[in-house]
This record gives sequence, C-alpha cells and structure tokens, in this order.
Amino acid sequence: MASPLEAELRVFEVHRWDWAQSHPGKFVVIREDTIVKDFFDEYEDAFRAGIKQFGADRNFLIKQVWKTEPVYFVA
Amino acid sequence: MATFKFPWNPFDPGDPGPCIKFSVTRYIDDIEYGSNIGLEFPEPAIPTALIDTGSPFTIISKVLAKNCNLSLTNPSFPIRTMNGDCECEEYCGSISFPGSGLPRIAAARILARDFYKESSYACLIGRDVLKRWDIRFDGQSRIVTIKV
Repeated sequence: MASPLEAELRVFEVHRWDWAQSHPGKFVVIREDTIVKDFFDEYEDAFRAGIKQFGADRNFLIKQVWKTEPVYFVA
Repeated sequence: MATFKFPWNPFDPGDPGPCIKFSVTRYIDDIEYGSNIGLEFPEPAIPTALIDTGSPFTIISKVLAKNCNLSLTNPSFPIRTMNGDCECEEYCGSISFPGSGLPRIAAARILARDFYKESSYACLIGRDVLKRWDIRFDGQSRIVTIKV
C-alpha cells in the first residue's frame, strides 16, 4: 500500500530543480498529478488555496521549494 | 488587545516550563463546511503546551494529530534534535488557547511526532506562533505576559 501523499512527493521531485530556480522559498500545492498554478509566500495561504481547489475532505501536499531539503533544529 | 498572564518559576525543578492550555482542531472552515453537510467532529482535546523558543514550529504528539483528524500536508518533514534527526508529519489545523482570551489561529502548520518521555505537556508552541505575540518574562515576579 502506498504511503500517504507518496505520488504527490514524486511529482514534487520531478519539478524541484526548476521550481528552486524560479520560485525559491515559495510554497507549492499538489494533489495527485494536479499542481495549483500559483506559488505562495505563506504556508497558510497555500493551504487555503488547496482547500479551494481540491475540497476539504482530501489530503494534498504542501511543500516549500528548496534545492535540497532543509533540516530545522528543534532545541 | 488581549493580554494573558501566568506564573512560571524557572528555579523550581518540578516546574516543566512556561505552559498554557492549547486546543487544536481541523481547519475551522472545514468544520463549518462539514457540520453543514452533517459530518461530526470530535470535541477538541485541551492538553498543556510548553512555550518553546527553541522550536521553529509548533509540534504536537502524533496521537493527538490523529485523534483531532487534522489535514495531512506532508508525511515526511525532517527535523534535527539533540537526540538526532527524525521525521515528523506535517498537518494544518486551527489552534486556540482556551481560557486565555488569546485569539485563535485559523490555519497553522503543525508538526507531529512521538513524545516518548515528557508527560507534563503534549505540545510545543514554537516560534511560528510566538512571532504573532509580544511575550515577556519578568524574572522578579516570575510572571509571563503575552499580549496580542
């Protein structure tokens, strides 16, 4: 059984390099192979756009665009 | 402006830190929409949360995230702690602070991980929430004041 949002993560990886050039640090929203056309400065705005496009009862991926995955330190 | 004050004694070894009551639910518009079409949502739990300036994000236990039926937005969000690297799940939910008068945050990024040892709190309130507040600690009176 596939992990949740596994397909969406694959779509993100396909586009990661291009998006990191064009929209570094922005948030992107993906559901299956559909990508919300806008990029967002804030996570909350990306979530609201996902709700608007895909509905409230479906999970969708929100990823911040970086060339490599950052690892945040939690103390 | 909302103001909330509470005591914290950093010199008491039994004091877990500056803590407040915390409630998390699905994104509030989800609940309103779902309720209108007959869906039922669990009553929010009200665990204790530690105000943690060392955390960039708000973090809750995975059990709480599942129980609250939050919206998953990323299944693997890496973080680094003193104990090493680990993967969190990322959710979106609404956060409120019952009994404080502090305003609700309608849509917030919330990370979820296993809380193995700490029993005094089930959440860390991170800098993503603190950036919305003016929060001060008076060391002489040992009072924390939050203004929004």
